[in-house]
Amino acid sequence: MKQAFIDTLRRELREFSRRPRYVVLLTLGLVFSYTFFLTLMHEGQPAKLPIAIVDHDGSYLSRRLCHEIEATQGVHIVAVYDNHAQARAAMQRQEIFAFYEIPENIYADLLAFKSPRISLYASNAYLMPGSFSYKSLATIGKLAAAAVQREVLRKKGYPEKQIMGIIQPVELDTHPVSNAETSYQPYVLTTVLPGILGVMTLLFTVYKVSDERKRRTMADWMRTAQGNVPVALAAKLLPYALWFSLLGILGNIILFYYARFTLLGSFFALSLMVVLLVLAQQAMGVFLAALIPEQHLSISVAAIYGMLSFTMSGFSYPVTNMPPFLQAVSYLFPLRHYYLGYVDIALYGNGVAYYWPVLVGFAVFLLLGMAGAVLLSRETRCIRAGICACSDSSNLDVL
Amino acid sequence: MNKFLQRLIDIWEIFAGEVRYVFHDGGVLLLFFVATLLYPFIFAAVYHSEMVLDIPVAVVDQSHSAESVRVIRKIDATPELTVRYKCCTMDEAERLMREHRVHAVILFPRDYGARIARVETARACLFCDMSTFLYYRSVMTGASNVLVDEMKYIELQRCEQMGLTEADAEGQVTPIGYEDVKLFNAPGGFTSFLVPPLLVLVIHQTLFLGIGVLFGTARERQHRQRIPIRLRRGAPIRIMVGRALAYLLMYVPVVFIDLFVLPRVFGFPHIGSIGTLIGFLLPFLLATIFFSITMAGFFRERDTIIVTCIFFSVILLFLSGTAWPQSNMPAVWRWFSYLFPSTPAIQGFIRINTMGAHLSEVSFEYLLLWFQTGVYFFTACTSLRLMSWLRRKQII
Repeated sequence: MKQAFIDTLRRELREFSRRPRYVVLLTLGLVFSYTFFLTLMHEGQPAKLPIAIVDHDGSYLSRRLCHEIEATQGVHIVAVYDNHAQARAAMQRQEIFAFYEIPENIYADLLAFKSPRISLYASNAYLMPGSFSYKSLATIGKLAAAAVQREVLRKKGYPEKQIMGIIQPVELDTHPVSNAETSYQPYVLTTVLPGILGVMTLLFTVYKVSDERKRRTMADWMRTAQGNVPVALAAKLLPYALWFSLLGILGNIILFYYARFTLLGSFFALSLMVVLLVLAQQAMGVFLAALIPEQHLSISVAAIYGMLSFTMSGFSYPVTNMPPFLQAVSYLFPLRHYYLGYVDIALYGNGVAYYWPVLVGFAVFLLLGMAGAVLLSRETRCIRAGICACSDSSNLDVL
Repeated sequence: MNKFLQRLIDIWEIFAGEVRYVFHDGGVLLLFFVATLLYPFIFAAVYHSEMVLDIPVAVVDQSHSAESVRVIRKIDATPELTVRYKCCTMDEAERLMREHRVHAVILFPRDYGARIARVETARACLFCDMSTFLYYRSVMTGASNVLVDEMKYIELQRCEQMGLTEADAEGQVTPIGYEDVKLFNAPGGFTSFLVPPLLVLVIHQTLFLGIGVLFGTARERQHRQRIPIRLRRGAPIRIMVGRALAYLLMYVPVVFIDLFVLPRVFGFPHIGSIGTLIGFLLPFLLATIFFSITMAGFFRERDTIIVTCIFFSVILLFLSGTAWPQSNMPAVWRWFSYLFPSTPAIQGFIRINTMGAHLSEVSFEYLLLWFQTGVYFFTACTSLRLMSWLRRKQII
């Protein structure tokens, strides 16, 4: 058995040295993805989002408001419009994400204690810039009101210490756990990048296994492994499991040590998650390739399934918010388990006592891989018996 | 005239051959007609609730004051938050957070009520789960709404105690008010924001991968039946037009269902005028088809394109400027994003479909799509000519 394993491994390495194209392309793709995501969102939170002002008043007050807006980090005034319609059209051209409309006579009304109102329009068609610019402008709105109040209270002769207590009776001290800067990067990168690695592993595995069938080398492969299907699969996929795991761990070194995302738990535990993700994707790949004998279909099915894992992992849209049926379905995606493990390890520093269900989940995928092996061994028995019925539908196509 | 007729017949033959070819390939059919119809249904099911509401939170009330109890009641009354646990100590609340039973903890320190009574700023602490952006967003919305309301309540109460009339009190508490209007997606729903770009991306990617697979297969099997013999030595324009027409006509029903029917059935945003959308989507489909044919020239085997390019869907989504604004992208990536028809298509589709823009507001995207159509048509013809030249050399 040991010999069979070594022989199959050698056979695979020979195969790899003859056609290294896929592995090279996938590695380059991964390098590109890491570079892309790390440079795309290097700001963490979008800063200086373009907004506009519609100033009907043109008074000292409206100008001061503009100055205050300019002084914030979040937004930046790119235009001043005369009327609402112009600003709305600019929004539709996506030149701005939000605008303030300052009504006529605001200064006069303010002095007369008539509580004038500023209108704040924000576009939620683009959720992130929309809500960030909304947040910045709403803060300015509150600050403007507070500044006026302070001025009034000062004139009334209140002591400075009491003024704050009057203007702001309650304060909320926010502590975003494990992402103090509320940066957008950790949300996305920590799951999307391993997710990309996972999809690549899945499709590559499906391709690798069904390629033996397509090139009619299945019999040769099994002969090398002395007819032992699990050994054949393990030896064939081991080099790639090692390579993809290595890439995933290197990627996490970049994310947690170079980009310095929060990692409260141990890096070793997180690396274990990466390895399990790669193995689970390979197991799923074997299962799909064994289940669907036509290479056409198996790869397309794997692609459709693989791309869904980003949605179903719950990193962008919480799984707890999906219908109960889909909450159950989400566990059919290895990336879901990886994400849960990542949250426990990195964001909360939890021990195994908290994330053991994740390990069980991954183990189930490995069982699925075993089921794939059983299917494959049935198929090879057919080939050896010379029936060639179940696999030859695809072989005929090649002719 | 005869020559013209002959050309039309050529195009027809190529068109018919291509359609036959697609309908004999299970993998491509799966991409063209199953994936494009399956994904919208999945998106509709996954994102059916738009907002993340009733997030379970734990409160730790150490002050036991009337003020803190009132705030807790208000928190529970927000649509975003639900007070699921009332804990005695922070340790207890921390454990609940670690077990993901709550996604936020709100702490009222011992002096909360006393500080309000002394007219000092009272502090409440909020600890928020950051595993998902949407938890953070909903928790912050809920909590800050309660905070604003509570501040106003306390201030008005104090004014009343000072003997001010209601109108005077209002003027003092809010000297300048502001009213917010959220346009195009009033509740800030995640579905209305994410699904339209995803639908466009699905169309782009299935077309791209499907065409890649078709060309890869043809190359792999040295299949050329789909081009009549007399046309094999040239006529790239006729071949291109015939093929593009085939894909275009196959995608008309798909686009119609995905971008017109399903948004209306599932209630995704759809305020754009249909005429504008049709005018806008035509160059999108053409640009995508020619872009895909050009790229397909680089792949010699059937499945290479799916295995090596599928991850690019994620990158295209981020390049399109939906998740991260275009205004804040490094210039390199912004220019890079203009290479792909998905970027202007997604931008334009959101603005027409979700924001009700006309072609004049998306003129940049519209012209870019036509420009891409022109450039990729040329590159597709060139790559076809190059390939047939290479093949001839090999055969000879």
